[in-house]
Amino acid sequence: MELFRALAVLAEPPTKEAARVALALELGSLPEQSEYTDLFVFQLYPYASVYLGAEGMLGGEARDRIAGFWRALGQTPTAEADHLAVLLALYARLAELEMDESDAVRRQGWHVARKALLWEHLLSWLPAYLSKMEEIAEPFYRRWSETLLAALFEEARTLGKQEQLALHLRDTPRLFDPRENETGEFLQSLLTPARSGMVLVRSDLSRAAHKLSLGLRMGERKFIIKSLFSQDAAGMLDWLEDEAREWAVRHRAHKEILGDTATAWENKALASAALLRELKQTANKMA
Amino acid sequence: MNPNELNERVSAARAETEARGETFYPGPSRIHLAAFPPKERWDDWVELDSKSWPERKEKRYMLVPTTCFNCESACGLLAYVDKESLQVRKFEGNPEHPGSRGRNCAKGPATLNQITDPDRILYPLKRAGKRGEGKWVRVSWNEALDDIASRIRKAIVEKRNNEVMYHVGRPGEDGFTERILAAWGVDGHNSHTNVCSSSSRAGYQFWLGMDRPSPDHANAKVVLLISAHLEAGHYFNPHAQRVIEAKAAGAKLIVFDTRLSHTATHADYWVAPYPGSEAAIVLSIANYLIQNNLYNREFVRRWWNWEEFLAVENPELPTDFATFELVLKNLYKSYTFENAEKESGVDARVIEEIAKVVATAGTKFSSHNWRSAASGNSGGWQVARTLFMLNALLGAVATEGGVYPNAWNKFVPKPMYTPPHPPAWNELTWPVEYPLGMNELSFLLPHFLKDGRGKLEVYFTRVYNPVWTNPDGFSWVEALNDESLIGCYVALTPTWNETSYFADYILPMGHGSERHDLHSYETHDAQWIGFRQPVMRAARERLGEKIADTREVNPGEVWEENEFWMELTWRIDPDGALGIRQYVESKERPGTRLGVDEYYGYIFENSVPGLKERAAQEDLSPLEFMRRYGAFEITKKVGAIYEELVPDAELEDVKEDRFSRVYTKTPKPASTNIVPIASPDPDAEGRRLVGVNVDGKILRGFPTPSGRLEFYSSTLAEWGWHEYAIPTYIRSHIHPENLAEDQTVLISTFRLPTQIHTRSANAKWLDEISHTNPLWIHPTHAAQLGLQTGELVRVETEIGYFVVKAWVTEGIRPGIVACSHHMGRWKLKDEGQRQMMATVALAHEGDEWGIKREHGVHPYKSADADTQRIWWTDVGVHQNLTFPVHPDPVSGMHCWHQAVRVKKAEASDAYGDINVDTHKSHEVYRKWLRMTRPANVHSPDGTRRPYWLMRPLKPSREVFRLPDNQELVGVE
Repeated sequence: MELFRALAVLAEPPTKEAARVALALELGSLPEQSEYTDLFVFQLYPYASVYLGAEGMLGGEARDRIAGFWRALGQTPTAEADHLAVLLALYARLAELEMDESDAVRRQGWHVARKALLWEHLLSWLPAYLSKMEEIAEPFYRRWSETLLAALFEEARTLGKQEQLALHLRDTPRLFDPRENETGEFLQSLLTPARSGMVLVRSDLSRAAHKLSLGLRMGERKFIIKSLFSQDAAGMLDWLEDEAREWAVRHRAHKEILGDTATAWENKALASAALLRELKQTANKMA
Repeated sequence: MNPNELNERVSAARAETEARGETFYPGPSRIHLAAFPPKERWDDWVELDSKSWPERKEKRYMLVPTTCFNCESACGLLAYVDKESLQVRKFEGNPEHPGSRGRNCAKGPATLNQITDPDRILYPLKRAGKRGEGKWVRVSWNEALDDIASRIRKAIVEKRNNEVMYHVGRPGEDGFTERILAAWGVDGHNSHTNVCSSSSRAGYQFWLGMDRPSPDHANAKVVLLISAHLEAGHYFNPHAQRVIEAKAAGAKLIVFDTRLSHTATHADYWVAPYPGSEAAIVLSIANYLIQNNLYNREFVRRWWNWEEFLAVENPELPTDFATFELVLKNLYKSYTFENAEKESGVDARVIEEIAKVVATAGTKFSSHNWRSAASGNSGGWQVARTLFMLNALLGAVATEGGVYPNAWNKFVPKPMYTPPHPPAWNELTWPVEYPLGMNELSFLLPHFLKDGRGKLEVYFTRVYNPVWTNPDGFSWVEALNDESLIGCYVALTPTWNETSYFADYILPMGHGSERHDLHSYETHDAQWIGFRQPVMRAARERLGEKIADTREVNPGEVWEENEFWMELTWRIDPDGALGIRQYVESKERPGTRLGVDEYYGYIFENSVPGLKERAAQEDLSPLEFMRRYGAFEITKKVGAIYEELVPDAELEDVKEDRFSRVYTKTPKPASTNIVPIASPDPDAEGRRLVGVNVDGKILRGFPTPSGRLEFYSSTLAEWGWHEYAIPTYIRSHIHPENLAEDQTVLISTFRLPTQIHTRSANAKWLDEISHTNPLWIHPTHAAQLGLQTGELVRVETEIGYFVVKAWVTEGIRPGIVACSHHMGRWKLKDEGQRQMMATVALAHEGDEWGIKREHGVHPYKSADADTQRIWWTDVGVHQNLTFPVHPDPVSGMHCWHQAVRVKKAEASDAYGDINVDTHKSHEVYRKWLRMTRPANVHSPDGTRRPYWLMRPLKPSREVFRLPDNQELVGVE
């Protein structure tokens, strides 16, 4: 399955040697390194654990699960087993192993592994991730994300749905309620897709500041969002509720192909929207 | 375009690109783990110049492979040759190398330090003053070669062949120098192996007829190491990466080491036994398998020589397997966990738990012992032998995850010339006392010379430093200082060392990127060759130049050995009258000397299966292919050769004896792999042993006298060591019963991961990391002595003492002390090697020798600015000088562990003080010699040594016959 491997190459910084890969994928000429940096280093970190972990950070249980998948295959997990490029390259390899296997039992084994990888570790987060990319990326990476999403959906259609929801999504961590938890935890949970059902990147926070006419302070996302709340908490709750509802719609749009996976994400976003509305109402009453 | 069409398009683009010999996907990346430059860009690789940062300045490199020359592993290196300056800028791993797979330890990249070392020897030097006085004059290669060649020629003409000796440290090309010596008709090969690994070799050879193990660590379920393989063992880098792979896949790692080595820190089970008790533990595990019928009975039945054992040792019993099993149970029943605890101090319950883990391994049990306990203890060869017994019990022999004999995982391609076995026997290296010695009794040489057993006209050391490396270095100094014992001493060395100061000639040899060698090692279940080459020669040839002699491209007048030996051989016999010259004569241009291109061109063209075809795929000649990629894998997954059916074509006029050994009249088929293995004797009618009859099928078996795995060694039984004919536990010379109350054991054998004897000295990065060797001592032991870390201790051996700093650590078994042998380099004058050698004063009166440290190292000005940044002064203490020789009476291996007295230093003691009495050391030598069972008394057949046993340079069969006692050197 060369397509996935080729797409994986472009989730890495673009070197001039990658140009022929981009050409084969009909993506046009390679972007500047700075464009890659802005997208993958500052906005959309290409690691599954960021989107599937309850902490919204690199590593942790989500990465361990993926490393466990490698071990179950009898492979040594690479240092960054949950990196997008690694996952796509692994998918390509499993698809090839399945196709090249002459023994029917073993071929079925590879097929099961391939389908598990697709549903457990790719489709469980990439549709949301790529949807954000389509929204914010310049043309080259927009085309890349569209191609990847189309390829993933094609695989989903071809292999069929998985009976059970991906393990990553079976736990349903939600936003921390600031009335019961530290404010910092609440703010961090907004930036944690597995809790909020949203993928909020730097450019989103910048958009919020612009819309609410707030000062945008530079720093890590948690610092920025804290500063925005300190300027206009009610406005931010409003804005975030709208974002959550908009994400619920996005997730729902994938329901036909992704089934329960889309619903799990939609429910996260809806729960967030509900909490945010409740918080705003509480704040209004107090005012 | 839909995803499926796009997939086809990308596949087609990849196929098209790769058909051009290029790489479609760029490296480095996570996609193919291609952390290496794609090979089609090795001619023009671009990297940013780190020194120009933040300016983005591009540097263009040519990448040229070679092979590391530090430890023996022969890992692949890739030299980055700056295309502008034509200098090597760095060394990284060669991804094309099947053994090391692009990975290296610290020593590989440090090759750069060695080739740019400001203190290295660049020109041939000849002694000007007295030996050891330190006065030198530069001479031409011609002058040196002519003098040395004429001395050797004279010795050969006057039938004094045994006065020419070559003593090797770091091995070079497989068999190269042995063939040179054979061409001269000289039995003059001497190796360091008896201070290194010969006891392990004995243990393996008695079982297998091959003297090294090749564990398939990566695929094992249980790995048992009696060594520190993850940091310093043989094939450390290739093996460590495979052990870790096994661990990652869930294998259990068991480590026996008295010291908390890095390897021990990775173990699932680490035990720290009393040194020398390892075989007792291993045998208790074997006994557990035997008593509980947990061994692979079918394997044992098919492959052990139990029938021979029963027939010879228990002729009254029926010769059937059930009887053998009963006898086996009886033989080993005393090796209980409780007895193992008594010997080792390791809790019997822990040993039992380990035994249960071993029992789960099945045929995926990989084990390894190399040096360590085998080389520390008298009888240490039984450690390797008992360890392999576990494999033999489990049937984990040449199985996936098991242990292979090295010869099946090694490929030594046949060269153009293979001279006949020399018709001479050198008793200085193969004395009558050691008929079963695995290797030359090299470390006894000064004592033999002093005893008048012979003398040497020309003595070469080759990247070897016996004064420092061997025990009892002052006896070496005494012998080297006596010109009546050693007429001309020639040190072939890239760098100054303690021994070279006593040389008559110092001839500068190349480092890893300055010489040719061809290697093959048993790093895993495969066969590969690795090519060491002068990097600048290959680089300039890529640029279109023609290089005829490696000196043209090496710094100063540094040469490589292969050209040197060919030239020396030519000059020994310039007109060919002695019949020597023919072995170094060009076939392409008769009458002229063979060159390295023709030599290797022949080998790669004719003797490496598959190489020609692989090279042709890239329009390269085989030599060009090897110059370009540096390594070639001949085959993978060799499998269990002993189970292979012997083809009918090899079964002409066969005879089978009562132990189902099958002998044939068919000559041995020609093979281009000349890897050394044992050579069992033919039958009385001259048929060769071709295999064994197992259940009605003639199978290949093992190259042992029985054709099977030798649980019972008739060789040991017949040559005077009947009590050791089967694997047993021998109490070490440092067993508690052999120590006085105030004595303890010093472990002196361990290496540091970043150094390799004296080979790696003057590699500044390595020296900065590791430059001292404190004495490891447990807190309880230190408290008894009132010692704290950093305080001085005096360590007294049988022949003297040394003064060293203490390191109080829980990482050592209480009551045992340890000191790495990698440190304590010294020199007598300030010049010479300045990064790792202390300057010392040498005191000498009669047999008393002393060393006083004048000062350690310090910053100095040189061509390398880093030498002014040397911040350390301490370079450790040279403990080996204070060790007497302890030759194991069977294997001949020096038994390194020392019985010592550890005391707080006296007021007059200073750090680095060494005191030795060489008279006492000679007495100890005599004491150990008396433990031997010489061939003239014990030989069962009137020969000096069992002919079947391996020997690095095997002489012709007729000289194996023992001469009369009066002609035998050393017999009183």
